[in-house]
Amino acid sequence: MHKFLKASTAALAMAVAAGAANADGHALSGDLVIFSDMSNPAPRAVMEGMVERFGELHPDLNIELTVIDREAYKTQIRNFLTANTPDVANWYAANRMRPFVDAGLFEDISDVWADPQLDGLASTKGAMTLDGKQWGVPYTYYQWGVYYRKDIYEELGLKEPTSFEEEIANCQAILDSGRKCYTIGTKFLWTAGGWFDYINMRTNGYDFHSALLAGEKKWDSDEVRATFANWRTLIDMGAFVDNHTSYSWQESLPFIVSGEAAAILKGNFAVPPLREAGLDDSKLDFYQFPAITDGIALAEDAPTDTFHIPSGASNKEAAKEFLKFVVSAENQTLINAGDALGQLPVNANSSVDDDKFLKEGFAMLSSNSPGGVAQFFDRDAPAEMAKVGMEGLQEFMVRPDELDNILARLDKAAERIYK
Amino acid sequence: MFPTPIEKSSPGAQIAYKTLLPISLLIWLAPLLAVALFSIKPDSDFTTGNYWGLPSSFEGFANYGLVFTSDMPRYMLNSILITVPTVIGCIVLSSMTGFALGIYKFKANIWVFFMFVAGNFVPFQILMVPVRDLTLDMGLYNTIPGLVLFHIAFQTGFCTLFMRNFIRALPYELVEAARVEGISEWRIFWYVVMPLMKPALAAMAVLIFTFIWNDYFWAVVLTQGVESQPVTAGITSFNAQFRAAYHLMSAGSIVAALPPVAMFFLMQKHFIAGLTLGAVK
Repeated sequence: MHKFLKASTAALAMAVAAGAANADGHALSGDLVIFSDMSNPAPRAVMEGMVERFGELHPDLNIELTVIDREAYKTQIRNFLTANTPDVANWYAANRMRPFVDAGLFEDISDVWADPQLDGLASTKGAMTLDGKQWGVPYTYYQWGVYYRKDIYEELGLKEPTSFEEEIANCQAILDSGRKCYTIGTKFLWTAGGWFDYINMRTNGYDFHSALLAGEKKWDSDEVRATFANWRTLIDMGAFVDNHTSYSWQESLPFIVSGEAAAILKGNFAVPPLREAGLDDSKLDFYQFPAITDGIALAEDAPTDTFHIPSGASNKEAAKEFLKFVVSAENQTLINAGDALGQLPVNANSSVDDDKFLKEGFAMLSSNSPGGVAQFFDRDAPAEMAKVGMEGLQEFMVRPDELDNILARLDKAAERIYK
Repeated sequence: MFPTPIEKSSPGAQIAYKTLLPISLLIWLAPLLAVALFSIKPDSDFTTGNYWGLPSSFEGFANYGLVFTSDMPRYMLNSILITVPTVIGCIVLSSMTGFALGIYKFKANIWVFFMFVAGNFVPFQILMVPVRDLTLDMGLYNTIPGLVLFHIAFQTGFCTLFMRNFIRALPYELVEAARVEGISEWRIFWYVVMPLMKPALAAMAVLIFTFIWNDYFWAVVLTQGVESQPVTAGITSFNAQFRAAYHLMSAGSIVAALPPVAMFFLMQKHFIAGLTLGAVK
């Protein structure tokens, strides 16, 4: 019965598409099944709001939305892309979509990108492109950077650093006052990936960094060793909180709230919990990770979340319309506002919400990130390599003397994974 | 007499016992207490590191209110719709297989029985992919009946072992006496053996109820949405993209744990009886 219904709606959708192919703004009909990982609470409301507004534009379209817990989604997507396939599904940009692209499970939507409406998305087009084709559209991204306790910096008379020397001098002053410079919780590994991304991009530049994570460079090289040497300077100073391997990132926040640590390198998603815990804008501030090697263009981590059309979708026409709707400047302004996702719009024609951190982030990414925009360690590297890599990074943070072994291990893993 | 009653031991041992017992009890219960405590705390208590202290504000009503206005009631209903048919199906099937294997003497009896038992020794994780493909081919993927059928099939092995051994322990003379009276086999099952099996059935129902209610693995493998997932899998739907909503998950866990706990206390007599059945002959 279910199969029959699906088949008949697909036939209906095709008939409608054929009949109205040339009519401008033709009505969409049939079913549009959307699987989303935008689980509670604000992203969910955003997703439901988008579906509602899209539904109002296309009253004949029956939209079915299933929201799945973000973590569970990561395993379930393998399942539902081959069975019970939805028409639209969430995922991530860059290398994270490679397994599905290679397996032919995502639809090539280069024709959607050819639409002049999508011209405002130039900044993220690279992240959506694999093998010269586009496989999805972005809907939001957010900046990474150092979130610090403004009141502590003022108390110690420190300024936002612009070079690594200033960063280290600041850190020494903070350590002398009996605090730690940075809080971090490496229990789930990825937080260490953020530190490596930044130190490596600042030491060797974006091009080297992305080549390394794409398997084109050796881990055991002078460049990577220079990165780890810089990192080690901080570790040897005792800049990071103790026992960080036993905390999740949420469990590492109390240190900055209580003032035991002065800063955290994190994405913008750290701001809402810190604000809830009582750090208002007079106590919390943001600076771009400072330059390390002179003459290297600054590049940033800005993980991008996306929508895709599975190749097994039954109503691709409606799905493509939905994707265009998602990236429209108006919708981008709306869904990335502070009371919605609280992140940055991907469309350059959108306006950014009146929020200190969003404004700083938008300015940073649009004007002060000439080197490029990376996704994040575990999105730029293939999943398997990311896991081995982040384990190595965590180990390095605890036992920096093991560096030789770690690099050798990563190279060995890379040989097997990239082939 | 072994073990020596505590009141007959030396005063030192008694004092040590009486102080250590509450302490170990507290340590034992600490995770549960933490969950209960967090369910009435605001979200910000987690960020400020107030894990064990008093709640900075009482949010019990807000948290539990959110739990009941979210998808949780639907997940609870799914759990009931999965658990109750499974319990009934297992009891019906296993009381019949148990009767057949316990009463009749035929050649393959022991081998059939071994097959039921051996099924219990298959680690269920290795069945994940085949079972998923099977339910998919049968059109049962992501449906409640799919989950129910699988649970019945898998639990019947254990239940049959349980029922067969219980029926074996019944005086066989009862069956023989009934046969002498000329009662049909079907009526022997229904009127002679079934009434005697009632404590075993009750004990087994309670056990299976808690097994199935607490199942997480198959819920995640065979179902994927709010329309069919039970509460154990649904509880993570409180988590946001970056943040785990510990206060809501705590409140949700407590609500989700109530039915099996209530079941245990209501049926405590049968539960204990089930565990000690056959222990003393």
